[in-house]
This record gives sequence, structure tokens and C-alpha cells, in this order.
Amino acid sequence: MTRQRVLAAIAAFAMAIAVAAPVGAAAVAPKKFKATRAFVVDKQTGVVRMPTPAEVDAVVTTLTVLGQQPSESLAQTTHDNGAVSVDLAGGFSGVLLARPNEDGSWETRCVFTVEEGAAFLGLVEDVQ
Amino acid sequence: MTTRRPSPIRLVALAVASLLAPTAAAIAGPAQFVIVNINAPGVGFNDPTPAAPVGGNTGTTLGEQRLIAFSHAAAIWSARLDSAVPIRIRAQFTPLAANVLGSAGPIQIFRNFPNAPLTATWYHVALANKLAGVDLAPIDDDINANFSSTFNFYLGLDGNHGALNDLVAVLLHEFAHGLGFSQFASLGTGAYFAGFPDVYNTNLLDTTVGLHWSQMTNAQRLASATNWGRVVWDGSGVTATAPAVLTLGSPNVEVNTPASIAGVYQFGTAAFGPAIGNSNVSASVVAAVDAADVAGPATTDGCSPFTNAAAIAGQIALVERGTCGFAVKARNASTAGAVAVIIYNNSANAGAAPPGMAGNGVDDAFVTAPTVSVSRVSGLAIAGASGVTADIGVDLSIRAGADALNRLRVYAPFPVVGGSSISHYDTIASRNLLMEPAINPDLTHNVKAPFDLTWELLHDIGWTFPDADGDTFPDDEDCNAHSDVRPTIIINGIDTGVPNRGLGSGCTMADTIVSTKAASGNHGSFVSAIAHLTNEWKDAGLIAGSQKGAIQSAAAKWK
Repeated sequence: MTRQRVLAAIAAFAMAIAVAAPVGAAAVAPKKFKATRAFVVDKQTGVVRMPTPAEVDAVVTTLTVLGQQPSESLAQTTHDNGAVSVDLAGGFSGVLLARPNEDGSWETRCVFTVEEGAAFLGLVEDVQ
Repeated sequence: MTTRRPSPIRLVALAVASLLAPTAAAIAGPAQFVIVNINAPGVGFNDPTPAAPVGGNTGTTLGEQRLIAFSHAAAIWSARLDSAVPIRIRAQFTPLAANVLGSAGPIQIFRNFPNAPLTATWYHVALANKLAGVDLAPIDDDINANFSSTFNFYLGLDGNHGALNDLVAVLLHEFAHGLGFSQFASLGTGAYFAGFPDVYNTNLLDTTVGLHWSQMTNAQRLASATNWGRVVWDGSGVTATAPAVLTLGSPNVEVNTPASIAGVYQFGTAAFGPAIGNSNVSASVVAAVDAADVAGPATTDGCSPFTNAAAIAGQIALVERGTCGFAVKARNASTAGAVAVIIYNNSANAGAAPPGMAGNGVDDAFVTAPTVSVSRVSGLAIAGASGVTADIGVDLSIRAGADALNRLRVYAPFPVVGGSSISHYDTIASRNLLMEPAINPDLTHNVKAPFDLTWELLHDIGWTFPDADGDTFPDDEDCNAHSDVRPTIIINGIDTGVPNRGLGSGCTMADTIVSTKAASGNHGSFVSAIAHLTNEWKDAGLIAGSQKGAIQSAAAKWK
């Protein structure tokens, strides 16, 4: 693993930590999305409510970090035995999302990109 | 417990985690899985919150239960895969964003490594290690797994998860992606990952053009990614086993006339009304007309009673999505006498796939016609044609989730849904499979036939099963995982000279004689049992009369 790849992994991890931070912490979202349906179960009331903008940003950031990335952004490493490897920098993972149903059960979806995750949760790009 | 290797990434994680040492738990099995716990003390796997044992999970803290569930899922895979190189899963529970349960995937991919079955082809690192026989990335782990510490998973091991999400099933699914159940070609351009196909691509066949993904141009792959129902997995392991897993009866929506729009259509199903195929429907398709009123502003939305009910009766009603619920439209169609309903996407959903349609709890009970959804393109094509006839039902000659040749359909909806397309089995499969895009609540923790087909796909891409005696029967299916496979039957040191045949279950003749000895109460009953057994073998043509005598003679001397 090259130093650049290590730094990329550090950045990915740091972003994941940022995602995990409380509302108000800085979150990096390359695209701005907004919610069109309620999918967050409120911790205080247990009621399904619309997500806050910060919660939407956190979901989008998580999907951006963990999902598919352009392969051009990832360096190939040639090893002494002739093998070639690519460190995926934390991306290309299946990300499991859930949304609540009215009957209290959950519907899940394994996604790989921001776009499909957004579609599953009813997020649309905020063009304003 | 094993000693963990130094890793730059892990050291970074440690720095963030206040320089607290992670731990690693080794899961003993034919393929050794190592769960590398990178959580800091007090959180994630180390959360000390007391927890009552649940569903066979004996942990007494939340952290212990998480680790036990992780280890349980890893052990299921460990028992069914064979590798001389430990598979290291870098794992943590952290407070992920709302509604994000977790993720897992390979940390690296490799090509052109020693012993690679296919050159110039990407492999997930855990599989590459297994095939190479050495750890190609010894300073790093193989699979990255990060799950939500704030989501309320079911942590039991017994699958009795009720309305909660079963963590073990989730882990089995995501680990499979990390082991090789995913592809890397871009679904936005069709281009290979960094110019090369992956091993998953080599088993993806588009039955329209008759090419594998590893044989296509970028444009062909791009088109194939949304060729619903026509992209199949043609690996021999999955195909041979599919009949043992999938049920006969493939749901189908097919337009028969006019020829200009004839064909099989992608569709979504409804959670209300009769199931497709409850009775197969073959009829004309008639566009519904209703009043443009407060219930719905368009005459095509089906939100009010149909004004052309006479034309609809006995036919398939075509209705446009929007304004009112799906069940309202289907109820109005049923009231008009429709034998089936097709709801097509409206302009607001012009680019969307045919939706799954939820009921509203009010109109559902009045829906008597099976109801399907189609895309807007499909709906407009049907609406714009005359003399349209269609079949809506199940084809009992085809298994649900496979094509007519039992090749598994992969998930290839239109429009494409990012990486989920192609890297999962089709949602049409029945029974439900572990590697569909959704973690369905009826999944078991079995990853192979007759319950599932995940293991078979991993086998097709190069994973092998544990087979201690090399008799081609996986150990967990072998009636004797350590068979006597010597070429002749040797009884207590006496070589009978009789060929030692396999009996089709993983046991050999010699195994059977030994097990007969163990089950016999005394020498007399053993000799009698061997006489009976050898008579059966002779009658079956497995041995000759003289060979029967040789076995019986040797057995008589085994006291």
C-alpha cells in the first residue's frame, strides 16, 4: 500500500467518523439532496418522521464514501511477483439501508451508489 | 485469539480511537476467518451495556453479542469455504447515518497473481489469496465491515428476528459481497474496472446477444445492464443446483399483439389483490377512462369509477399512475370487471422502474384482479397501440428466478440502479435468496442448496469447498468427511483386492464395512450384516460373486 493510498484510506475513515458525528458536525456532501418521505424513527417519540437536512447529508456522505467510485481515481500497484492490485479506498462496498413500513417492520436494500440509495429512501437532488 | 499484524490503516483507526488496541478473534474452520475488532474500548464490539442473552447468543453485554453474531456469520462461511490463507475481516460498529445499517466489501482487488486461473482478470483479494495460496497483501486485511451501533439489530443466532433486522443474515449477505459476489464494471459507461474484466463478469451471460460480459464492448455491457430478465449467471455450479432451490412457476407479463410491441415486459407487483398466476389471464388490454375530477385530474388516472366499464369488463385494464393510490385504481378496475390491471408510471416517474405497489388498507380488500406495474415507456407503447393482447400469469415450465435452462437471472432492472444491478440475484426468485438486493425476512442462515445459491456462485468463481478426503463431496455433505479412499477394500489389515468404490454419498465400500462393524453388537451379527450387504452389492452389480466371498472371508476374521 502506497503512502497515497494510506492517506486516501485515512481520509475515507475520517469522513466516516465525520458521518458518525452528532448533528452540527461538518459533513461533506458532493451533491445536495432533500427528503420527500419520512424514514427516520425519532428516538424520543418512536414516530417515523422526515429526516432533517443534516440527517440527509449524513446519509449521502456515507454512501459517497462507501459506494462505487470512478476506477480512474484509484491507483494500481504492481508487485514483485507480477500481480497488480488496486486498493479500493473503502469504496465498492455493499451498503445496507433500511426504511420503516407502516406496520413496524423494516424494508432493506443493499445499494452501491448514492443515487440508488437516495432513490430507496426517497431523496431527490436539491437543485436550489 | 491471534496476534494482529501491523497495518497503516489500522494504526490510523487506533489513533482516532485514542490509541487503544484492537483485538482479533479467529474463527476455526476449513477457511480461517479472523474478525479484527478495531473498536475502542467502551464502544462497538466493546460496548459494556448489559444485554440479556437472546436466540442462542450467550453474550451478556451488547458488545459481546455483536462479536458473537459476527463470529457466527463468519463461522457459517468458514465451514463452507476452503483456503489456506486466513480471511481477515476488519470490523467495527460505529454510529452511522440514520437508516444506514452497515456495509462490507473487499479492501483490494488483484489481477495477474501467481496461479490466477484467468489472467488480466480482477479477483477480490480474499479469493485471490486463496487461489494464489499465499497472502498477497500481508500487511492489510481483506474485507472491510462497518455496521451501525445505533440501529436495533436482532442479535440472536436462531433467525427468530420478528420485525427486527437479523444481523446474522445481513452479515452473511455483506460478507458474500466481500468474498466475490459483486462486479466492478461501470454501470454508467459499461467500461471495465481499470481496463480489465473481473471474474464475476466471465459468468454473466446476456441471452439476447449471446455474449458474456467479459466478451462485450462497453456499449453492449451498458445495454445489458438493463436487459431485464435476459442477464443470467451461467456458471455450472449454480445452474446445476438451481432446480433444488427455486420453485416452478415464473411470473410473467407478455404482450402478444400487435407484433410491433410484442414481448416480455418488466413489471412490479402489488401487495394487494390476487397474486399473479392465481389464475393466468389472457385478454385484450383496454385503456381505462374516468372523469377528470377532484379525485384525479386526468381521464387516464383511474381515480374515479371508469366511464368505459363495458369495454373493460373481462379485459385487462390499463391505468396511469398518479394522484390516488394504486389500490384505488385497482379497485375501480375490479369494479368495472377487469380480469387484470396494468398501472404504468406517470410523467413524474417517467424514468423510474416499475414500482412495487403498496396497499392502503382500505381499498385492498375490494381488489379482485391481479395488478402489475410497468414503466412509462411500456405503458405508453401499450396505450398507443391498437389490438393489444397480453398474458399475465406464471409459466409453470420455468423456475422463478431462472430462465428456461435453469440459469439464474441476475438483477438487471430498467433503469439501472447503480451497483445493485448485476451484483445481486433477481428479485423475482422464489424461494427468496440471500443475495437479492433486499434482505427478506424469510431468509435462513443457510448459504447453499437446497436453501440458497450463494455458495454455488462463489464456487463458480473459484472458491472451493472443504473436502478433507478429496472425494469431491463437500465435508458438510459427505457421509464420511475422512473416507477410506484406498483403491481396494482392506478389512482390518487384510487386502481383499476388491476395488473400493464410492457409493454416491461420500462414503466408500470400506467406510460402510467399518460403520457396519461399529453398529454390530457382536461378531456374529457383524458377519451376518456383511453377508447381507455384499449380497446387495452383488445384486447391484457393484461386485462379482468371487469378490463377495473375499469380503465375507476377511470380515469373518475381524474379531
